[in-house]
Amino acid sequence: MIFSSVLFLFRFLPIFLLCYYLVPGRAKNIVLLAGSLIFYAWGEPVYILLMLFSILSDYIHGILIGRFRGRKAAKRLLVSSIVINLLLLGFFKYADFLIGLINTASGASIPLLKLPLPIGISFYTFQTMSYTIDVYRGEAKVQRNFLDFAVFVTMFPQLIAGPIVKYRQVEEDLHLRKPDIEQIRRGAMRFIVGLAKKVLLANNLGQLWNMIAAMDYSEISGLTAWLGILAFAFQIYFDFSGYSDMAIGLGDCMGFHFPENFKYPYISASVTEFWRRWHITLSSWFKEYVYIPLGGNRKGLARQIFNILVVWMLTGIWHGAGINFLLWGLWFALFLILEKLFLGKILRAVPPMLGRIYTWLVVIVGWVLFELPSFDAILGYLRAMFGQNGVLFIDRRGMYLNAEYSILFALAVIGSTPLVSRLSAGLAQAKSGGAIALRRVLEKVLPAALLLLSIAYIVEASYNPFLYFRF
Amino acid sequence: MTHKKDTWFTVIVIAAILAAFTVADFFNEERLFSATENRVLTSRPQFSIQTFLDGSFAKDYENYVTDQFVSRDKWIRVKTGADILMQKKLIGGVYLCSDDYLIEYHEPADYPSSMQEEKLALLKTLVDRWDAKVMLVPTADNILTDKLPANAIYLDERAFLDRAEEVLGADACIDVYGMLAEHSGEDIYYRTDHHWTSLGAYYGYLAWAQANNMEPYDYAVDKMQTVSTDFYGTLQAKTGTAGRADNIRIFPETLKRPVKVTYDFSVQKTGIYEESYLDTRNQYGYFLDDNHPFIEISTGYRNEKSLFILKDSYANCLIPLLKPHYGKIYVMDLRYFNGSLFPFMETYAEQGNMDVLVLYNCIHFLEDFRYFQ
Repeated sequence: MIFSSVLFLFRFLPIFLLCYYLVPGRAKNIVLLAGSLIFYAWGEPVYILLMLFSILSDYIHGILIGRFRGRKAAKRLLVSSIVINLLLLGFFKYADFLIGLINTASGASIPLLKLPLPIGISFYTFQTMSYTIDVYRGEAKVQRNFLDFAVFVTMFPQLIAGPIVKYRQVEEDLHLRKPDIEQIRRGAMRFIVGLAKKVLLANNLGQLWNMIAAMDYSEISGLTAWLGILAFAFQIYFDFSGYSDMAIGLGDCMGFHFPENFKYPYISASVTEFWRRWHITLSSWFKEYVYIPLGGNRKGLARQIFNILVVWMLTGIWHGAGINFLLWGLWFALFLILEKLFLGKILRAVPPMLGRIYTWLVVIVGWVLFELPSFDAILGYLRAMFGQNGVLFIDRRGMYLNAEYSILFALAVIGSTPLVSRLSAGLAQAKSGGAIALRRVLEKVLPAALLLLSIAYIVEASYNPFLYFRF
Repeated sequence: MTHKKDTWFTVIVIAAILAAFTVADFFNEERLFSATENRVLTSRPQFSIQTFLDGSFAKDYENYVTDQFVSRDKWIRVKTGADILMQKKLIGGVYLCSDDYLIEYHEPADYPSSMQEEKLALLKTLVDRWDAKVMLVPTADNILTDKLPANAIYLDERAFLDRAEEVLGADACIDVYGMLAEHSGEDIYYRTDHHWTSLGAYYGYLAWAQANNMEPYDYAVDKMQTVSTDFYGTLQAKTGTAGRADNIRIFPETLKRPVKVTYDFSVQKTGIYEESYLDTRNQYGYFLDDNHPFIEISTGYRNEKSLFILKDSYANCLIPLLKPHYGKIYVMDLRYFNGSLFPFMETYAEQGNMDVLVLYNCIHFLEDFRYFQ
């Protein structure tokens, strides 16, 4: 079930929230667990067993690690927990990728497993690992209440697309949370903004990208190619950050405090900054549980570069089992290392606009690697972007698409800067009578309008006139 | 205090929207069919353990709730309105053009030259065997170019027709493109439908007569008769926009003589127009009773000559104009015919003096023209 669907908005959510708010204190976790299991089982009835196994495994590991803390057994138990999680993830996500690699390398023809990827497995295995590792390190208390632990893993808001919540970030909320009306309002607003980002911006820009991605790259103009990859860049940002907004918003409605996942990444003036603003919970997970344990920057430059490479290869293939994702990760590693070595100093000295252009170029080329599955496609697309495929750079189609999508792009650009939130913060502080009146009207009208408009786009998605009188 | 009130207000409004539509949807009656979309809507799927476990129940159920959502048609109108507000010009595969015209978009890449050559080669065999005349009618996007959005993409049918003339020979080809282009300021295409109008067909008829060195019948354009003033065609349905209603007009001269029309060798009618379609969405079906595999028309004109037409629906409103030139007209829609074409045509040619005409619009020709010799 996805949030941006009639089923979620007008079946699941109202019924769930009604039950959730009606039941008293401690029973809320039972409702949340039951709701989350139904939410997950709706799309993945079989894999729910896998998730339950993962919960049980780390629940027990946590208790045992707590009991043996400080002794050798604790370390062994931690390793066992991590291995089980990684095996689950590895088997379901990477088995076919590895088989494919072995087949190409050795000429063997081991049949692929073709298992569908269990939804959210990349997210919940990382969450449960953060729990056992933190317990081992003594940074989190052992969770003896099975219900609370199961709620931590299964919570439907962030179950399938993050943010990746570390256990200690919600340790207290799991036990006791009392949202006031202000937090609920903030959450509802956040949810609607996320929904609008996904439905109004991401989906529509996605249509443009899908259309251009399906074209013959030897025949598209530079303008068309740029429009296409820019559309994808905005699509993936609004899709992903919109989903995080919805998750954080739903969390707020129940009194949780989920970590932020995006902070306007597209205004970054360096690649280092970009990754402090993009998918923050993933980067900080890798930093805390891989980069720093490997020694981080404390063991000399060579070791640091090695560590960066390891982390970014992992980040790459976390996003998908494919060579292109690995390349994508390494592409960023390259610039992060360059920035560590000398580029960072230069970027700090030049006007930030230059840094932004450079960052955009790196990120955009990165998206080509990320989104196109084969080397031929990647090279063909890059050639088109940089006018090397022999097609006029600006052609009729490019100009048409530019006009057709200019307003959507303008909204996307504005939406990826802090402009709107600064304006609303400014309005919130303004003391003049007019400003206060304006704020009060906007606060009431905008969420309703955005919600209704988003619903219209969701319902229309299945608009499919069947023209039997085609001729 | 006002702040707290405002906060509650916002939360209540949002909750009320969700609750109101949830409840309204709960009491919403299930529709089998959507008239605006002209399709059967998804109905409640049957639950079974197996369909649940393989996920197909979930998928069907999601389609079901979306299709049956309360006020579906209104939501769609809101969405289309928002698209128009965002200056979108291409909605549902249709260009929103000036002067309230809706014009279908055809992606040139979908009609590559390999496809064009293949279809033309097939047509050439037919032309050579039957000495057929070919009328390939350009679609509105090529003729009403000044109404299209700036830089709109369309398949260059002029180039395709030039190529057709090379392959088939100039004698076989009827230049309807040039004729329509000359009259592009008149109502030769419907605003809300992908067909040409009776007036457009009339200019096609003039081009046909010219190519055959015939004196055209004296149809009076200023005496055309209006049979419908509320035609909303396929393009209006595709876009979901309001659209400006079209008129359907005919030449009253075509009603002069009694005709005998035999549909599919069985059903006999005494007219070429079917009034009943004017009460449906598919008003263009008025011409020659919509689509039939085979139609035989006895025109009521004393004439030894007969005409065999291989055609798409563009022909339906032109055929009435051809009556004065033939005693019999045979009309064939190749989409429904899987037999051997030439022997079938032979049985009609044996009765003497038969002309053959191939009449399609360029797009339908490229998409649908096929036969077995």
